[in-house]
Amino acid sequence: MIQNNQPPDVLNLNAFASYAKDNLLYAAEDVLSPKTKDDFLEAFARGGEYRGKLHGFPILSSARAFFYNTDLFARARITAPPKTWDDFVRDAQKITKLGGGAIGYALPLGPEEAQAEWSIWMWNNGGDWKSGDRWAINSDKNVQTLGFLADLANKHKVTQVNPGKTNRTDGAFQLFKDGKVGMVIGFSPLAKQLDAEGKVKYAVGAMPANAGAAVTLGVEDYLMAFKKKGNQEAVKKFLDLYYQPENITRWITAEGFLPVAKSGLTQMSSDAKLKPYLDLLPNARLAPTTDPAWDKVKLDVQQSLGLAVQPGGNPKAVLDKLQQNATAESGR
Amino acid sequence: MLIGAVVLFPAVELVRASLSRYSITGLYQGAVGGRNYARLLQQDALGPVALNTLTWVGAVVGLTLVISLALAQFLDLEFPGRRLVRWALIVPWAASLIMTSKLFVWIYDYYFGLLNRALVALHVVRGPIDWLGDDRTVMGAMIGVGVFVSLPFTTYVLLAGLQSIPGEVYEAARVDGASGWRTYWAVTLPLLRPALVVAAVLNLIYVFNSFPIVWTLNDRNPGFGHDTLITYMYKIAFKSALRDVGLAAALGVVNVLLTLAAVLVYLNTVRWRESFEA
Repeated sequence: MIQNNQPPDVLNLNAFASYAKDNLLYAAEDVLSPKTKDDFLEAFARGGEYRGKLHGFPILSSARAFFYNTDLFARARITAPPKTWDDFVRDAQKITKLGGGAIGYALPLGPEEAQAEWSIWMWNNGGDWKSGDRWAINSDKNVQTLGFLADLANKHKVTQVNPGKTNRTDGAFQLFKDGKVGMVIGFSPLAKQLDAEGKVKYAVGAMPANAGAAVTLGVEDYLMAFKKKGNQEAVKKFLDLYYQPENITRWITAEGFLPVAKSGLTQMSSDAKLKPYLDLLPNARLAPTTDPAWDKVKLDVQQSLGLAVQPGGNPKAVLDKLQQNATAESGR
Repeated sequence: MLIGAVVLFPAVELVRASLSRYSITGLYQGAVGGRNYARLLQQDALGPVALNTLTWVGAVVGLTLVISLALAQFLDLEFPGRRLVRWALIVPWAASLIMTSKLFVWIYDYYFGLLNRALVALHVVRGPIDWLGDDRTVMGAMIGVGVFVSLPFTTYVLLAGLQSIPGEVYEAARVDGASGWRTYWAVTLPLLRPALVVAAVLNLIYVFNSFPIVWTLNDRNPGFGHDTLITYMYKIAFKSALRDVGLAAALGVVNVLLTLAAVLVYLNTVRWRESFEA
């Protein structure tokens, strides 16, 4: 639509920074009432900023959490979910040793969502995408993390076959729903499906961490408003109506996602099913979505990270290449 | 008018896009002349992808023609239930390609797939094979599906060709004392040539341009190791760090020219004029 010079008035997407960079979007003060803007949770508002101004308005969020199969844990005589990476490897080995096709950990590093799985492991080892405003994808910590993931597959052999070529939805989640898998990183829609099927007993907890406190990934979707002649008043009215706490909360609840505003957090906190995720939400970290280069870096990660955990793969070379491309894209 | 709107306009737009630069959001950022074409040639993935395309088109079209010849011959025979078999053969053709491909994703699956279960039960293999994840088997698995969905159309074209061969020529061959095989080589195949040429050319175009099968069966593999030029084009535009509509359009133009060239070369080798005038 942009290509044909016919942008929409408002758009819901999981990326906004490239549009802001191309100067196509209204900033918050042009189209949002101050009340709406101040209600956004701090982390999500910051995740929508481009050059210090809010351009991507948070519309919904989700947080990943650590899922484990309590039946398999009991059979392997594991009493509590792993807290450290050493615990994690030991537990995964115990589950795999149960035999009968049991898989310790389902690791999806295929192109669907490799950047999400990777972010979580990277952060729990104290690494990050960036250091200051420079990319740090190939930092020593990150090379170590990717080596750890490759070892899970090729040395400890506690993952499903070919984790670099497994997607999340039809791969890792499918195996967990089938009761074959001890541990997986999931989110609330997975819980919904598991509850509906009632086949697998599971619990949800925090990620095992190798450095500091456990961190999880928060994902936010954005609503953005395109600058078009004469649409500012109408867009403003629409957004005001949409962001009325009862309206947006009803929509987020129906879709099974998590809130982005303080009022929504209060409204939804009574739901026991959502509690584990809501507890994680304030400490969730976001991918560097505010950087326009991220939209390409993400795709690059999706198409290459999986190659690093194949037998004979080279984690350092893969991360070096990602770092090189990201730096070239940002021009710094 | 219609030709202008349906054929010429998109073609002109494609060429124009291939000479332009766009930002990731699709915003036009000016003309760049032939630079997209030059950049296309510098892509590391281009060589392997072109080779994949050659394997894919060659194997699918070749196998399809050979198997279809046998199938058409069989369906040309009189036997009870022939109508049913003819109907059954249409099914893969009538089903949506995405549905068929998705179905095969599950048939090939390492953990849940029927194929592995059958092969293990029959002691053909000792353990399951990750057909769509193992680099050695992905292309073969895709070719299998490609042949499967190309058979119905091809078989029917060849069947129509067989039925247009008059009975008298077979009678003449019999009178001359020709054996079954000799009749096939000397009478059936030459007379079937027009149908064979049509089937080959149309398959060449369909298979080259086939997106759903390669896309669906290859969607869990990172990188471009098993892409054809068509899926690679899509990845350049939307699914890779390149994220470049102009570059993808340049590959689109190249793809059209390649198909055209392949068809012309083929028609030239089989001397199609003669085969139709014969």
